[in-house]
Amino acid sequence: MTTIFRRLRYFLGRSRHDADLREEIEAHRALRQDALERDGLAPEDAAHASRRALGNVALAVDDARDVWTIRTVDSLWQDVRAALRGLRKSPGFALVAIGTLALGIGANTALFSIFSTLILRPLPVRDPGSLALLTNGSWSYPIWEEIRVRDNLFDGAFAWAGQSFDLSPGGQSDPVDGAYVSGRLFDVLGVTAIRGRMIGPADDGGAAPSFGAAQDAPSASRGADGLVAVISHRLWRQRFAGASDVVGRQLTVQRVPFTIVGVMPPGFFGPDVGRMTDVMLPFAAEPRIRGQESRLARKGSWWLQIMVRLKPGHGIEQANAALRVAQPQITEGATRTLEPLTLVSAATGRSSLRRQFETPLFAMVVAVGLVLLVACANIASLLLARALARRRELSVRLALGGSRWRIARLLFIESLIVAVTGAGLGLVFASWSSALLVQQLSTWESTVSLDLALDWRVLAFTAALACLSAITAGVAPVLGLKSVTAGEALKDAGRGIAGDRRFGVRSTLVVAQIAVSLVLVVAAGLFLRTFASLNRLPLGFVPEPLLVAELNLQASGGPAEERGPRVERLRDAAAAVPGVRSASVAAEQLLTGGGWASSLVGVGDGPMSPTRPFLWLNATTPGWFETMGMPLRSGRDFEAGDRVGSRLVAIVNEAFVRRFLPGEQPIGQDVRLGTRRGDTVGTRYEIVGVVGDAVYTTPREGMLATMYVPVAQRPPETFWETVLLTINAAPGRRAAVERDVAAALTRVDPTIAFTFGTFDQLVEATVTQERLIAMLSSFFGGLALLLAAVGLYGVVAHAVRARQTEIGLRMALGADPSSIVRLVFQRVGVLIAAGLAFGLAGSLWAARFVEALLFQLEARDPVTFGGAVAVLAAVGLLAAWMPARRAAGLDPATVLREG
Amino acid sequence: MGLTSTPSDLLPGTLELLILKTLVSGARHGYGIVEHLRLASDDVLRVGESALYPALQRLLLNGWVKAEWGTSENNRRARYYTLTTRGRKQLAAERAEFDRMVGAIQQVLGTT
Repeated sequence: MTTIFRRLRYFLGRSRHDADLREEIEAHRALRQDALERDGLAPEDAAHASRRALGNVALAVDDARDVWTIRTVDSLWQDVRAALRGLRKSPGFALVAIGTLALGIGANTALFSIFSTLILRPLPVRDPGSLALLTNGSWSYPIWEEIRVRDNLFDGAFAWAGQSFDLSPGGQSDPVDGAYVSGRLFDVLGVTAIRGRMIGPADDGGAAPSFGAAQDAPSASRGADGLVAVISHRLWRQRFAGASDVVGRQLTVQRVPFTIVGVMPPGFFGPDVGRMTDVMLPFAAEPRIRGQESRLARKGSWWLQIMVRLKPGHGIEQANAALRVAQPQITEGATRTLEPLTLVSAATGRSSLRRQFETPLFAMVVAVGLVLLVACANIASLLLARALARRRELSVRLALGGSRWRIARLLFIESLIVAVTGAGLGLVFASWSSALLVQQLSTWESTVSLDLALDWRVLAFTAALACLSAITAGVAPVLGLKSVTAGEALKDAGRGIAGDRRFGVRSTLVVAQIAVSLVLVVAAGLFLRTFASLNRLPLGFVPEPLLVAELNLQASGGPAEERGPRVERLRDAAAAVPGVRSASVAAEQLLTGGGWASSLVGVGDGPMSPTRPFLWLNATTPGWFETMGMPLRSGRDFEAGDRVGSRLVAIVNEAFVRRFLPGEQPIGQDVRLGTRRGDTVGTRYEIVGVVGDAVYTTPREGMLATMYVPVAQRPPETFWETVLLTINAAPGRRAAVERDVAAALTRVDPTIAFTFGTFDQLVEATVTQERLIAMLSSFFGGLALLLAAVGLYGVVAHAVRARQTEIGLRMALGADPSSIVRLVFQRVGVLIAAGLAFGLAGSLWAARFVEALLFQLEARDPVTFGGAVAVLAAVGLLAAWMPARRAAGLDPATVLREG
Repeated sequence: MGLTSTPSDLLPGTLELLILKTLVSGARHGYGIVEHLRLASDDVLRVGESALYPALQRLLLNGWVKAEWGTSENNRRARYYTLTTRGRKQLAAERAEFDRMVGAIQQVLGTT
């Protein structure tokens, strides 16, 4: 044991040890020179003589050093060099093998790095392990106030609310992801500024109580520096070019000027994983931006997240218990009943993406793992072929006394080198492709931003993959080596007639490759069909000519009462732009998966009954249905006479009629909507029209019962903060119209904030996940198919070459070419059939795991399964056909002469 | 026996044994060990550096001696080797083994 320890110490201090030794030997020589001089020699002669007596210093040092090293290490190095030489001699093989592995490992690493960043990596803050998130859902500011005054229950607490902030001073919006944060957020997280300072409690002092009524006298809601903001490192770099004097500069947020007081450190993105929080403002600034509509005092607005840091030594259980004791006071006056307050560990932060992407991400990780397996099988097959081609050499080595172990090691090192090189390239491929994948997750509505740094987790994962691949690929050739006996190949000299047995291992590999590929092709087929059927779903409107401008009426201030006329002016301006066929306004953004809904509906004078699924609601201006291309089935559209004060009217869709008024004449009937539980009267609307069905939430959920009310009948004091100006543009002029409408809007109302989008983007966003899965699984399925085809081709080609003599003999004896092709195909057919059988069994078993990701499709869809089998059989036969053709074209005379 | 005795000329392990014995009288540097062996054997044992230093490294590796830099009698920096406790035990054991071997060899040579 101690010797090993000393060897290790030697190994670590190698260079110093060598220097010591050299100096020691030089000292030895000097001492001898001294002795010789004492004996009467001239100094020069003494130096000469002493050097002669010493002999070769380098050799002495080498010998002395050898004592410490182990012979195996040395011979291992020899093997590595031999393997490198071998790979350099066949660059084709090396390229194919390394390239295949680079793709396989790269794809795995890419997915894993997303998985790791989203789900595994702790927040980059001080001691993330002691952070806990208050679940479930969001909280109101008054509740946060109650927790804040009790933050001595913990080692600090903070709240934040993610927001999209418009940084533009006017006109077209310039949205960034931001958040309102409580004063102690940075302090509790332990994040310090790299420029200036972070937001502190003084900036957020007594925000809610002082808010009260006046929006233009909030001096108490400001800290010492006035309205302050901190920005992310990224924003600092991108917008301010990393200027060193950024602290103190102005930043317009939602049309309100803020002073930048600090820059967050690089790598810190906020408490939300998957979201780069570029601008943070104290909650105290919220009333300045939202004016009278500030949510700080509202008990019914659930919009913040709360995190606490547990006291040292405290567990989650203790914190929960302490919290629940105070719960009655904390939640007093809450507008909804609350379950017991529960903290959960938040070491990895919070992310709304996790639930959405967990299942698909996991499915893809499995798929990509299978691809790597196929890739390894291919490399194993190639390595095995190389080992067999080198049977002569290996057999000579054995005959000369080389140990089987040493030769096996040589072969294994070859696969290890391929694996390590492949993994290195794979990392490069991964860092590029994972960024591309994350981009695909972003939509118009939400930007996904993940910091995909290659951390130790990803590197360890890649290293493990490389080792695994080396083992998987390296075992086969070593097994194949068993069939090599000393000197046997010399006798044989490549003149063997029936060489089939040696291909046993490779055949097994090919069967496995076909089986795994079938599983992947089936999965790709299922996901593609899901995606296709989602895209074929009817929308109920015509998206192609449509443009949507989201108008933010809130950002530029002004009382809510002025919004109605303002929208009217903006709509008129847009409608006057050349190329605009019609322009109208709706209150709700469609295709976001949510919206405005009522859960308490009464028909006629009947009872109010809770409705599930909800009745979806929207408010529109006259002409909106025409703009959208939704047909009016009966009755009338809204008109100028539907105003505040006139009788409340509504238009319903056909799904509404089917659900609430089956078989009745809907026009003239009354609908009542309740607002609170126990409301028996509700607000009464008269149905004046019926329109065709259109998608409200997502195409996947289909046509839902929907009711439309006039925008003009909305009470002015509760007018919406944002509305959607919907424009039907003349064909092919959408881009020009967008530009002209933007200019017209800014001309009419210089302070209006707006963002343009199209319904195509919205429709696309509803299938982001499905599109991504379909794309990835097709890519992986195709890759596996290609690899399996290459593997099969390799095996058949090799088998044909090895049986050349036999085939030549058969032909010389009168076999015609077609019978030779049949001969080859018989064997290949068995391999393909076996692979397909295993693959089918595997797919049938695995299908249930993807069931949740499919749409309008059985997990064991016979068409998909049949199609996948046909594709694989075709590709397999094609791969076998080429070498079979070559075999049939052999000239028996040449073959027999040359052996 | 030639002028310089190399390890192959001696019985395996003999050089190590001689070095251990040399160090019993106190710490010595490499040149000192060579000189001591030469004088003590009346110029018969002349150990070359190419044999001495690997042998010293082996002794270090086994923990029988330890090395320290010091200053020689004529003010040169030199590395001094001293016997460790384990080295002392090893010397006793090897000495007994050597005696046994030499006795056996002489016994063989004695019979005609």
